[in-house]
Amino acid sequence: MRKTLVFGIAIALLIAGLAPFLASSNPDGLESAAEKFSSAEGMDYVAFNSPMPDYAIEGMGRTGEVLAIMIGTLLMLVMAYGAGMILKKT
Amino acid sequence: MHIPDGFVPLWQCAIYFAVAAPFILASLRWASKEMDELKVPLLATLAAGIFAIQAMNLPIPWGTSGHMVGAVMAAIILGSPWAGVLLLTLVLLVQGFVFADGGITTLGVNILNMGIISCFVGYYSYEGFKKLGTKIVAASFIGAWLGLFVSALVCAVELWLAGTFPLVEGLYFMGLYHAVIGVIGEGVITAIVIGVVLNVRPDILPSERKVSA
Repeated sequence: MRKTLVFGIAIALLIAGLAPFLASSNPDGLESAAEKFSSAEGMDYVAFNSPMPDYAIEGMGRTGEVLAIMIGTLLMLVMAYGAGMILKKT
Repeated sequence: MHIPDGFVPLWQCAIYFAVAAPFILASLRWASKEMDELKVPLLATLAAGIFAIQAMNLPIPWGTSGHMVGAVMAAIILGSPWAGVLLLTLVLLVQGFVFADGGITTLGVNILNMGIISCFVGYYSYEGFKKLGTKIVAASFIGAWLGLFVSALVCAVELWLAGTFPLVEGLYFMGLYHAVIGVIGEGVITAIVIGVVLNVRPDILPSERKVSA
């Protein structure tokens, strides 16, 4: 089982490392649809200032993007493991 | 399909939070019953993988892109739609707060669409097709595609109710884009992952465990 999980985590980190280079920067389906409708303007409203908006670290270019997604991936791993362990006990 | 802040009026956001909340609580209840030595690390690995793959937008025609949601894949591997609800809730929390991907006021509606609707539609379609005799890999492709496509249509209706999208054109463009994203981003990747698990570690899949037991 350990092998399978290490393999899974390695794939996740591989995707995280490649995403900034391979990912399309085109707008996603919802953004593309929104661009067709003038009623969908006014996107500047921000409810919360995220530390790494758009999967990037300010002033760090591509390296920052790789780092941001890696940090996010590891954060997810730790968070879901923590949540799973806590829920297992309850 | 992450709805940003400002696309849905606050009072409607509140309704979506209220609708999503009992599902999130039920997913926590599911986890407190089901989590064991095998499922905790699986949950963590799936969370990391889903987060990473959601950051990778694949190009589709019309100058547009899209990415996998992954709720159906997680539900099939962990054997319950509640797994997808729990995982997408965690992923959307981190995406919204840390990466400004999807709004904070719209967290409720995003959890409803990508966690709850995509996962329940996708997982039960998968189960249904399997009962009809469809092979697991094919059923996971169909389930993943349907989950994404139906949640995109629901999303279009929500944005119409919000006064942000017109109804017919909204349904048309959301449906068109996500029908394609559903094939390459959701269906194919889900089918590949389930196919690999089936070949390498079939004991992980709850459906296979029951058969062999």
